[in-house]
Amino acid sequence: MIRFENVGKRFPGGVDAVVDLTLAVVPGETLVLLGTSGSGKTTTMKMVNRLIEPTSGRILVDGTDVMRLDPIALRRKIGYAIQHIGLFPHMTVAENVTVVPRLLGWTGERIASRADEMLSLVGLEPGAFRDRYPTQLSGGQQQRVGVARALAADPPIVLMDEPFGALDPITRDQLQNEFLDLESEIQKTVVFVTHDVFEAVKMGDRIALLDGGRLQQLAAPAELVENPANEFVDQFLGEQRFQLALVTRTLESILPGDEGEPVDGTTDSGPCLRARDSLITALDRFKQSRRDVLPVVRRGRPVGRLAKRQLLQAITQVLDESGGSA
Amino acid sequence: MNVLGAFFDKLGLEILQRTHEHLFLTFFAMLIATAIALPLGVALARCRAAALVSVVMGVAAVVQTVPSLALIAFIVLLFALAHLPTIGVVPALVALVLYALLPILRNTYTGIRQVDPAVIEVATGLGMKPHQILFRVELPLSLPVIMAGIRISAVWTIGVATLCTLIGAGGLGDLIMRGLRTIQMDYLIAGTVPAALLAVAFDGILARLERWLTPEGLRTGGR
Repeated sequence: MIRFENVGKRFPGGVDAVVDLTLAVVPGETLVLLGTSGSGKTTTMKMVNRLIEPTSGRILVDGTDVMRLDPIALRRKIGYAIQHIGLFPHMTVAENVTVVPRLLGWTGERIASRADEMLSLVGLEPGAFRDRYPTQLSGGQQQRVGVARALAADPPIVLMDEPFGALDPITRDQLQNEFLDLESEIQKTVVFVTHDVFEAVKMGDRIALLDGGRLQQLAAPAELVENPANEFVDQFLGEQRFQLALVTRTLESILPGDEGEPVDGTTDSGPCLRARDSLITALDRFKQSRRDVLPVVRRGRPVGRLAKRQLLQAITQVLDESGGSA
Repeated sequence: MNVLGAFFDKLGLEILQRTHEHLFLTFFAMLIATAIALPLGVALARCRAAALVSVVMGVAAVVQTVPSLALIAFIVLLFALAHLPTIGVVPALVALVLYALLPILRNTYTGIRQVDPAVIEVATGLGMKPHQILFRVELPLSLPVIMAGIRISAVWTIGVATLCTLIGAGGLGDLIMRGLRTIQMDYLIAGTVPAALLAVAFDGILARLERWLTPEGLRTGGR
């Protein structure tokens, strides 16, 4: 869907923002571009919709070099959301959301119903919010509108530049979760820029870690955390490696295979663990349920039981491993 | 009452006529100045050559520093050298337009420059064309600043227009000059008070226009 082929960007003055970048974004996945400021992550993202143009190599969207496409048409097919929210202060919430549909010349009726549909999708009650102005919204509400605007014309690709960066931790966490749910429903190809490794691990199907304009590692979150490709990746994860491993390692890694006896029907309605839960999520569930043993399900089917003691053992093991490799 | 009645009997008709001339001068000077300064301000805001911007702004600012009386004298002189009519409405309008340009030009420039770059980038990223960005984003967002420039300009122009009597362009200055030459207070008042009222009225009307044109979301205090 999106393919970078030996892409480079040298800014006037000779600064190389991106160097010989080759990677492909798989349709439907969320690819996180992770790095510090100056790593080239934002430049990389902005080259997809030609806000920045590459100076070497080429970028293909659906097989066509973006430099051969009309930038206006290209951008209208790609959703775009940024950190500074960038809502148009002089437009109502509904007008903001429907900017692209209006540019595309949709009919008034279709635009109005789309506005309401998108607001509901991001958890804003249309009747209460459609006619408000951005200054009348909280930061979290504004960011929801920003996301709704990016998705309004139903673009197959969405670019997000630290979309939750300006929010307080609690609101950020909530919006991240909602976006994950939303994303699993609408199945977009998302390119997501962040400098926050926890956000990267949480949001990404795969993470591209960049430094100095060069790709350091492209891998699934767990792979990145457990098998850093080089010294830089290792250092980048640094002190957080232990916490990251708790987030990226799932119960699958410690489940006792299929030998556990089937769980009886009575516990079905009670609290249970999912095989794809992270260790930290599992720990939370033990805490909430106040039990010592919980049933585990995989894709809705019971696969066994897990004792809190086993989980704590696994966590200790993670601690040993990350301590050992540091 | 008797005094007022006598005053209006004597000067009422002339006041109306001079006010009409004054309004005509001011209105067309403002119209022309806006038509020049607005596009020029937009062009300057987009201009990447900082040197060019400061030259244009500098020239406009220098024009502003020339005393209005001297500016009119210069225009007349230049017109004389170019064998153009030196008396009447045309040279007067040229002087007024030159004088009215700067506040509109400067405010258009700063108004557009102060639009949040993030908003412009989003507009671009969402696929707006340059003219759509200008008309749908930049101009609406800088409108309060531009209108403030137009208001300043209008109030100045009404004042400067009283000097246009010197080159036979009429206006309320006629009454003021006659009062000065003949030492008659009633002429002086008949010229000054309407000019002051005009300035207040113009400013009021433009303030209304500004409020009406300003997008709702930008008005302070919400709704």
